[in-house]
Amino acid sequence: MSKRITVDPISRIEGHLRVDVEVENGSVSNAWASSTMWRGIERILTGRDPREAWLFTQRFCGVCTTVHAMASVRSVEDALQLEIPLNAQYIRNLILIAHAMHDHIVHFYHLSALDFVDILQIPKADPAKTSSLIEGLSPWTGNSKHVMKAAQDKVKAVAASGQLGIFTNGYWGHPAMKLSPEVNLLAFAHYLQALDYQRRALGVVAMLGSKTPHIQNLTVGGVANAINLDSQGTLNMDRLAMIKQSLDEVIPFIQQVYLPDVCAIAAMYPEWMTYGAGVTNYMAAPDLPLDSKGTQFDLPGGTLIDGKLTTFKTAADPIFRKEVVEDVAHAYYEGKDALHPWKGETNPAYNEWDANGKYSWVKAPRFQGKPIQVGPLAQVLIGYKQGHPLTVKWTNAALATMSKIGGRTFTIDSLHSTMGRHVARAIRAAMLTELADKHWTLLVNNIAKGDLAIHNQPDFPSGTIEGVGTHEAPRGLLSHWVVVKGGKIDNYQAVVPSTWNASPRDKNGVRGPYEASLMQNPIANPEQPLEVLRTIHSFDPCLACAVHTYDATGKQIVRVKAL
Amino acid sequence: MKRILIGGIGNVLMGDDGVGPYLARTLDARYQFSEGVQVVDFGTPGLDFVVHIAGLDALILVDAVDNGKPAGTVTTYRRSDILASPVPMRLDPHQPALKESILIADLDGSGPKDVTLVGISGQSYTFNTPLNESVRKAVDDAIEVVLRELEQYGVICTPKEGGTPDVWWEAQGSCEAPAR
Repeated sequence: MSKRITVDPISRIEGHLRVDVEVENGSVSNAWASSTMWRGIERILTGRDPREAWLFTQRFCGVCTTVHAMASVRSVEDALQLEIPLNAQYIRNLILIAHAMHDHIVHFYHLSALDFVDILQIPKADPAKTSSLIEGLSPWTGNSKHVMKAAQDKVKAVAASGQLGIFTNGYWGHPAMKLSPEVNLLAFAHYLQALDYQRRALGVVAMLGSKTPHIQNLTVGGVANAINLDSQGTLNMDRLAMIKQSLDEVIPFIQQVYLPDVCAIAAMYPEWMTYGAGVTNYMAAPDLPLDSKGTQFDLPGGTLIDGKLTTFKTAADPIFRKEVVEDVAHAYYEGKDALHPWKGETNPAYNEWDANGKYSWVKAPRFQGKPIQVGPLAQVLIGYKQGHPLTVKWTNAALATMSKIGGRTFTIDSLHSTMGRHVARAIRAAMLTELADKHWTLLVNNIAKGDLAIHNQPDFPSGTIEGVGTHEAPRGLLSHWVVVKGGKIDNYQAVVPSTWNASPRDKNGVRGPYEASLMQNPIANPEQPLEVLRTIHSFDPCLACAVHTYDATGKQIVRVKAL
Repeated sequence: MKRILIGGIGNVLMGDDGVGPYLARTLDARYQFSEGVQVVDFGTPGLDFVVHIAGLDALILVDAVDNGKPAGTVTTYRRSDILASPVPMRLDPHQPALKESILIADLDGSGPKDVTLVGISGQSYTFNTPLNESVRKAVDDAIEVVLRELEQYGVICTPKEGGTPDVWWEAQGSCEAPAR
């Protein structure tokens, strides 16, 4: 007999996501992903000045502030066919890179590593043995036995206090936890170090964006960072040097700690390279533009559908513009037809959660009629298939490390999995370390040439114009779709990464990526569905962001109900 | 010099949930503080909040709370109240990130020693609506509470002349967009 488990909410920090799985004979036999809240930010933008939309979209979600600001200005610039000065492109790119490095580090260490790392095994570890494990695998200097001992002492102190604090909600001692005490300790020592390095990465966003969490320096047409190398209070040589210094501190952490850690954990949980593939159609937007018109990019984009590659030449490729629709057959909205975002409607029609009817506030985006998985895995697979040199280099390096540690061969195909999403995110972070250096140099060299331009003035026509702004955000492809009529916003829709991934079924009953990826996941203990969390967390869920929402009781951290 | 952060928390687009950011910006416009004091509108932070609170001597949060008291009531909560579970307060959809951020910062010893939450009881949190009058009227009282807290840390608060808070989300057009 099947048993249904409701996990609600699932993310360690945000909540709002509800996952229902049916378990039969120790594995998942059916799954539904839904969101319990509605926000409808799009409606607040109607009638407003498109130049200020980004201030509002930045308030969609606490975690994804920067990305919504960026996609918003790009959507308006796309509608106006506005070119962006090179300095502005590089400054924006550096913000996006630093933000993504911060986000990927936090996601792995602080939001999902503890699905695989058993904190309560750490007191049993031998710190010296832990330190020797990593010798020869990484030149990182923060792996001494003293560092390991200090990290172990922290866990011992927490355990002895009887109050687990931040570790209250883990599934410690779960049968699916497989690491040795030493590896658990190593990962936790890096969890602590990651706090410092993610802070340095975010510092770069603050230095360029004027402020975090809400950056202030964007404007439709460019940026507001006045450049004067010799003047205080502008982007000057001192500030550029500080940015470089922070980047130089974060880069080794990603290359020497984050990527090797993910490879090691993947190699030690090889079964998780076989579960969780789900929807194997992928899409990514090219990002980090290298010219003012946006025709060359440093991150690859395109689609991989039924194994067939299409390459996107621009940030909002003509195929992409045309072939995205949002289906509401199983979402709490009025209407029957799947609508293109420029024609999109956001009219709520709530009913009780209904497995066979409407059950989510997330719409179901479809590309060429198909569900699509987005995120770092999509970008890495597409880049690899294109032969994109930076992607190939770091992917091969990661696969080689995994194979060495695991004593078996892992190939690119093993990335279609729950663990593959973590590995791909770390590969992408490593790619970004090289691009951080590159774009800093591009900016400095361009300024040195005497180019100080940062902004092109937007000029709105009296008629109707449409635009789409994309950004390959940490959680995947983000697109903002705007219709401007006589200089005012006439329609605005955001199709966010978690909407693609947490999509409910569509009118044909086809499952979205979260739902499909949960099918056949093993469940050792239905009362403690750790395996469900592993697969969902691998997507880096941010439902507060995906769904346009409000909830009065977002208090629980993880509530698991066995029905 | 003590490092003190006053953080307004909440979603500015959701009725009374926006009172934290509103208060932060009002406070910033009305007062100049002695060195080491920062006032920030945080919106609804996630785990990046750890970055902002690390190494502080004191963190003063201002947020809408749902504690059953009449709208506009100002209640002060201390660190132990905030970390005690369950706390009968509604912060915002990201509320767990505040608590988790403090606990995570504690792990590497960088958590703020003192944490105070100045809570303002809200009336409604409807999307696309302004602050309710009962809550807006409580802002001055809550600012007084914040100033008294700051005085205890020896902070000097000097009134500014003619400062207008930058509450851009209340500018014309805001909260009046017609439903489509």
